[in-house]
Amino acid sequence: MWTYTLRRVFAAIPTVLVVITVCYLLLHATPGGPFDSDRKVSAAVLANLEAKYHLDLPLWQQYLLYLKGLLQGDLGASFRYADWSVNDLVAAALPVSLSIGGIAMVISVLVGVSLGIFAALRQNSVIDHFVMLLGNVGSAVPSFVLGPVMIIIFAIALKWLPAGGWHDFEFRFMILPIALLTIINVSTIGRVMRGSLIEVMHSNFIRTARAKGLPTRVVVLRHALKPALLPVVSVLGPLAISSITAALVTETVFSLPGLGKLIVNGAGNRDYTLVLGLVVLITVLTVTLNLLVDLAYAWLDPKIRY
Amino acid sequence: MQLRIHLTAIAALTLALAGASHAADLPPGTQLHPTQTFVRSNGSEPESMDPAVAETVPANQILRDLFEGLTATDTTGKTVPGVAESWKQTNPTTWVFKLRTNAKFSNGDPIVAEDFVYGIRRFVDPKTASPYAATFGVFLLNGLEVAQGKKPPTELGVKALDKYTLEIKTQDPVLFLPELVANTQLGPVHKATVEKWGKDWVKPGNMVGNGAFVLKDWQVNNRIVVEKNPQYWDAANVRLTKVTYLPIEDQFADIKLWESGETDYVYQMPPGVFDKYKAQYPKELRNQAIIGVRYYDYQTKDPAFKDVRVRKALSMVIDREILSKRVTADGQPPAYSLIVNGVVGADPTPYEWSTWPMDKKVAEAKKLLEQAGVKPGTKYSFSYNTSEYHKKMAVFVASEWKTKLGIIMETETMEFKVLAKKRHDGSFQIARNGWLADYNDATTFLALVRCDSDQNTNFHCNREAEALIQKGNPLTDPAKRKTLLTQASKMILDDYPIIPLVQYSLPRLIKSYVGGYSELNPQDHYRSKDFYIIKH
Repeated sequence: MWTYTLRRVFAAIPTVLVVITVCYLLLHATPGGPFDSDRKVSAAVLANLEAKYHLDLPLWQQYLLYLKGLLQGDLGASFRYADWSVNDLVAAALPVSLSIGGIAMVISVLVGVSLGIFAALRQNSVIDHFVMLLGNVGSAVPSFVLGPVMIIIFAIALKWLPAGGWHDFEFRFMILPIALLTIINVSTIGRVMRGSLIEVMHSNFIRTARAKGLPTRVVVLRHALKPALLPVVSVLGPLAISSITAALVTETVFSLPGLGKLIVNGAGNRDYTLVLGLVVLITVLTVTLNLLVDLAYAWLDPKIRY
Repeated sequence: MQLRIHLTAIAALTLALAGASHAADLPPGTQLHPTQTFVRSNGSEPESMDPAVAETVPANQILRDLFEGLTATDTTGKTVPGVAESWKQTNPTTWVFKLRTNAKFSNGDPIVAEDFVYGIRRFVDPKTASPYAATFGVFLLNGLEVAQGKKPPTELGVKALDKYTLEIKTQDPVLFLPELVANTQLGPVHKATVEKWGKDWVKPGNMVGNGAFVLKDWQVNNRIVVEKNPQYWDAANVRLTKVTYLPIEDQFADIKLWESGETDYVYQMPPGVFDKYKAQYPKELRNQAIIGVRYYDYQTKDPAFKDVRVRKALSMVIDREILSKRVTADGQPPAYSLIVNGVVGADPTPYEWSTWPMDKKVAEAKKLLEQAGVKPGTKYSFSYNTSEYHKKMAVFVASEWKTKLGIIMETETMEFKVLAKKRHDGSFQIARNGWLADYNDATTFLALVRCDSDQNTNFHCNREAEALIQKGNPLTDPAKRKTLLTQASKMILDDYPIIPLVQYSLPRLIKSYVGGYSELNPQDHYRSKDFYIIKH
């Protein structure tokens, strides 16, 4: 397994490089530059700005300079936020996104898997209908509707929680965003878990286990759970990525200083270095999570060996 | 000759307001709240806290608290003394500012004339790469050449006559120079701090400013906290002890935070909710027109818009009253002129047809189109940047043209940066545009339609009007200058290079316990110095 992990880590390097290169070219090919605005700046000012960010060099030289910086862990200076480096901006936003997205993921897995199990075992019962309703509501009602409704209820009407903002990891500011992300994720995890467990419960080896007279608890926990978790694990990777790096709506609704807002604003402002820096970060996160998912497969399914 | 006659008038204008303090004047009987803290939404994250580099409204809003220029703007928009306690125009192109001797930087160092010389040179120097370098620099002697890198910054028309006397020489007579130097871009900078910290001089702990507040905390994309500056010369009249600026971009989130009590001040209301909130919060919903105009540009070099009759016909039939009351529905007054109400230096020149009944306008417009050979069914392309607001306006205008003239407007939506480039390149037929005054004088608006102006994105040029502007602008008699600039503005507008639509206004919710907001500040240049929290 270690050789496999190491092989995967090395294989990730060209992936990251390809992603950076494609993004680099796409960003520079997009019409409109970082210094296009209502007010046209003088040629001398523009020349100085371009020199500052190496935009006066040929594209390939800029690209090599960027890679050189990247190897030294320097993501460059932000085009838009002149007083900050991209490292500063990422360092400020990543903990916010990681804590909101990370906590929401852990809760979602626990709640989603449990609800899925209950629903599958009591198919067509009240609890099953409830889980399916929750699943459908979570998928059908967009977060930009659900979020403001939560704010109106819990912040404006009941005044229990703040309507948004971020105060140094103070928990009351985290509750509503985590709840919103959790509702969205639970609906997916719950539905997948339910479907998968129902299918597993109808397989031959479960019938054998039952025939041996094992109690339901043992049949489910020891025999059915592991194979039923496989599809859930498959959706966890992309779900975690979207909860951490692309929770744009949640960040906007609750005014959170996270990564999602940074990347959208970065793209709109043509902040080349900021967007590239975030792309590097998201690529590394994606590759890492995919690797973890693959390793989890081996643990869940004895047929898979690396 | 003209100049000499008016020198006496200028001398009469000389101000001597030594020692005057202009902070929040409390209405009689006002009881202050024991905690003077204020939380305000500020739209978006400022791009920089360096006064020379800052460009956007949110950045300048905070900078007016952290820095103070020679003059400042009070809550009603009036120019009041800042670091300079008095000033006079000694000849048409020379101004002398007398600095107050008790003005200090936040670290206790006295502010001397050399600090202004350093700050202004640094701002115009192309090495600083300030987007405003040429906009404001153009008024100073040699300013444009310095901004273009053709002359060294030492050639700029700013000089310290002695420790507390600053001389500013302008390229041409600039009547509104005292208003102009209220901008923090033209303020003092603490040289030792900049040299010590480099670009990090603007970070909390490093920054040395001279405003009524000092920078305490800056969490990027999250909050900027400023606290009262005890070294400020007028600290005795500053009531607020702490102001928190939140960069809230989503306008609905902004309202929710205000309703839940997290903030005291909404940056700007989204379109379409004005009436609803006016009914719900009649006392808290404040609205003020500011000097700015939303308009559409014609690309006048495009063969389709070479004929002024076409441009006039299309402009005439747009019902600005309905646009303002029903479409944007946020209290923005209709505009029939480039110069809007509240602008100094020229009067609005509304079109004579603005008061005609719509039937008459449509009949006239149809006639004009027929004369120009434009048939119903003709298509024009319209470019705008993606935004609900601009979309609403575009859909309305398109329907006006379709139903009244049979003209088809094909809309093309894009990102702001793409639109900005298209406009400057002239690669459009009709494009959305808008302008907020950089300073309160007609010339900031005329720059949008003048010949050879970088900001002219309709590419129209009326040489006769340009000659009038060049003749009128340097005049030192405000009345004569105004007459000529108004005349020029009317001449240009009669060529229909643009379609003025509505004047900007700022509807916002402000808690009733926030005092000092006047609704009279035409550029929205409020300083936290003028705000206070009433007992509640």
